Amino acid sequence: MNASATSLPHGHDGHSHGQDDGGHHGHLTLQYQPGLPLSRGKLIMWLFLSTEIMFFAALLGSYVVLRFGAPVWPKPHHVHLSEPIGAFNTFVLICSSVTIVLALESARANKAGLAKMWMLLTLLLGTLFLGVKGYEYQAKFSHGIYPQAPRSRIYEKPDLYYGSAVRERLGEPAIIDKLKELDDTPADKLTPEQVSARGRLQQVRKMVASPEQQAFDLAVVADQVMPLPTEGPGGSHGGGGEGGGHGGHVSGLNDIFPWLRLPAVIPGGNMWASTYFLLTGFHAIHVMVGLIVFTILLGYKLGPKDAGKIENAGLYWHFVDLVWIFLFPLLYLF
Amino acid sequence: MSDHDIHSAHAHGPITRAGDIPEHDKHDEHDHNSHDHGHGGIGKYLLVFLALCGLTTMSFLTYSSVWPWRDQPHVGWAFMMAVSCTKALLVVLFFMHVFWEANWKYVLTIPAAMMAIFLALMLVPDVGMRTRMVSQERALRMARTSDVLLMEQAAEAKVLAEPAH
Repeated sequence: MNASATSLPHGHDGHSHGQDDGGHHGHLTLQYQPGLPLSRGKLIMWLFLSTEIMFFAALLGSYVVLRFGAPVWPKPHHVHLSEPIGAFNTFVLICSSVTIVLALESARANKAGLAKMWMLLTLLLGTLFLGVKGYEYQAKFSHGIYPQAPRSRIYEKPDLYYGSAVRERLGEPAIIDKLKELDDTPADKLTPEQVSARGRLQQVRKMVASPEQQAFDLAVVADQVMPLPTEGPGGSHGGGGEGGGHGGHVSGLNDIFPWLRLPAVIPGGNMWASTYFLLTGFHAIHVMVGLIVFTILLGYKLGPKDAGKIENAGLYWHFVDLVWIFLFPLLYLF
Repeated sequence: MSDHDIHSAHAHGPITRAGDIPEHDKHDEHDHNSHDHGHGGIGKYLLVFLALCGLTTMSFLTYSSVWPWRDQPHVGWAFMMAVSCTKALLVVLFFMHVFWEANWKYVLTIPAAMMAIFLALMLVPDVGMRTRMVSQERALRMARTSDVLLMEQAAEAKVLAEPAH
């Protein structure tokens, strides 16, 4: 690799460069170069990236292995994932990858103003990505999908444990008061949807409390609380309950009465939530670090002297993009 | 080989550095720039960008009704992985300039990629096959496909919807 094991300090002795010094000799004036033919910063960035490859490979690998080893795994619309939003975020990251490359090119061409503009655009696109991610997280949180109890209200199957959890929630003093208030509200003060939901909620309460409840009853309860959305005809379905009230589909009791927050059933949902939040969370942390780096870089002149810095930041950012390229299909489309 | 390199770098480094650090670095940088400009260029980046957008649309197609193999998810998965690998390759080769780099690129990327693959494979027996043999208690509490079917049946039966209307 190194051309000059025996060379003099200003090594012009053409004999010493090895045959594996590929791609670097168009001319014979050799330069003494200690170590690999790249700057130290870039070398360290690449070493760091190779550890990052293994870091994300471990996460992605565990996700794939957990997912395909699971007896049942929720479909994207079961966990309120919106494919169009994910595709949009992919597009945003690809765009930001292009803008950072253009920032580097502008800096090298000594167009500092242009480089700054591209850098700022990259920063904005990264922020947009995080904003969309936050919006998606909110959609999960509002459906009680968290990685862990007690915040998580996800049950694996509509069994007795689920039934008792619903009963417990309905027995909480605050909920009892709210339910009484709802029962006493005259029907003309509620929307037709709420009136219908109130009737179903009363039956759910009876079903849960009944000593003769059967497995199917609990499945009915689970379906009433938060139905597993059925897949629409191709790409036209609402992609989950983000906006609520998408055509033809019955909203769950949790959607109609948000204060209710009853436990819900998503088979395989807990493992899904753990892997989803871990993968997207670590990716989001990487995005945040990238944004901090861009903010710092914006304080520089961004001329040819800073090209190395931009290049290293860009390498990192492309890697973040790379991870998302695999995350998007694995999480949203599989 | 690397031992030898380090040795020589240590032996000669200070002598070289005593001379002209700024000039050396500047020259190196400049050389690098012209090198990249020869291959890169904004046109090429835009072309890669368009390819990436097209590939994203292609993987998104598997989700739409146009996709003919909706009943065979494995076809879609294989297709999407192929698309993702192509996209990753494009980003690494052109945006990360690996296409134009010297041979050091293999030293860093190939071992990392191999270890990444081994890492995932080593998880298969303990994690991937964890539900092949489980205790009865765990099997009872574990979510199964039958639970999804049960909930779908409950949704279709509309037990509660009728009296309310």
